[in-house]
Amino acid sequence: MYVYVYDDFLNRGKYQKIINRLEIRLTDLGLNGKIIRLAGIKNIRGAIQNEIKLGAKTIIAVGNNQTVNKIIGAIIDTEIYGDFQKKTLLGVVPIGDDNSIAVSLGIKNIEEACQVLLARRLEKIDLGIINQHYFLNQISIQSLGTILEIDDYSLEIGARGELRIINLLSDPTTKVQSNPHDGYLDVYIKTKRNSETHLRAKKIKITNPDNKIIIDGVVEIETPAEVTVKRDQVNLIVGKDRIFE
Amino acid sequence: MFNKASRLEKFKDAETVIGASIKVKGNFQGQGNIIIEGTLEGSLKTDSNIFVGDQAKITANIEASDVIVTGEVRGNIKAKNYLAIGDTAKIFGDVQYGEISVERGAIINGQLSNSNEDIKRTEKIKTEDKTNISSK
Repeated sequence: MYVYVYDDFLNRGKYQKIINRLEIRLTDLGLNGKIIRLAGIKNIRGAIQNEIKLGAKTIIAVGNNQTVNKIIGAIIDTEIYGDFQKKTLLGVVPIGDDNSIAVSLGIKNIEEACQVLLARRLEKIDLGIINQHYFLNQISIQSLGTILEIDDYSLEIGARGELRIINLLSDPTTKVQSNPHDGYLDVYIKTKRNSETHLRAKKIKITNPDNKIIIDGVVEIETPAEVTVKRDQVNLIVGKDRIFE
Repeated sequence: MFNKASRLEKFKDAETVIGASIKVKGNFQGQGNIIIEGTLEGSLKTDSNIFVGDQAKITANIEASDVIVTGEVRGNIKAKNYLAIGDTAKIFGDVQYGEISVERGAIINGQLSNSNEDIKRTEKIKTEDKTNISSK
């Protein structure tokens, strides 16, 4: 059974035509299912867990990175998570801005998303964890003044730029060959002095009193924060052009 | 002796790169090949190879298979296989190597020793000891 979770921002009028087109296409392909609209729901976690208990085989995030993270956040570390891991697949239909997760999965638009759901190519991938939040793609922070503590050493960054900790790669222009199956996170720092840094780690503490961390381009949190990775935690439906091995 | 292109070829897909704006403190133990262009204080070790770039300033003991130095190192270097020292290199510490090449202009302030010769010498001493013991 398919369960489509529509994010609340899709209630806006400008998305109505896109939603109509999506629903027609899904019906044509025989992929139609139950729709849950997050706009009218206060307990998102409860609603999604209930669907899994009722036997949802595929949950599809319709929206952006935040939608995907809301669904994962509703499932991980709950009693239903074991069932989710064994039985439930997670798919993505990207609508609106901030859809780097879908791009990493090889899904650029609604039409591709429908084809990917039909083909059902599966990948079990790692999940990044930062404090109480989860991320599939990456977190980022201003590099200047940031200190990373990893194992027995620390890194101090003395120039402006961007620091990213990547689980799933969404930007093929970087030199990082991120592998979301290896149980490692990739640290990538590019400063305005055009210096690049990259290394891999399993556990990282981030400190920067002047700047916040952005999770998957949507959620901001303060430092200090501890970042780790859980290996092979989520079953995802991916496109054949996904940007990872 | 070695041009920049050929010496960097091995490091083209280095798993760890520390850029010029980065300061590393502590015991840095990397996986695979490591390029250091920034500052490092502590110790630096890998089973693979290390490239110390022109702008790098390292205050640490270094241990790797191949080591290429074109920056500044204050500490001992142990290159199990091959050590290449470029013309811009400044090394203040003892150096142990399997094979070595040094470009004109490099500064080395410390003792150089060949690990193969050390092993041979140790083996020779052991053999002599055994001979002495058996003759007694």
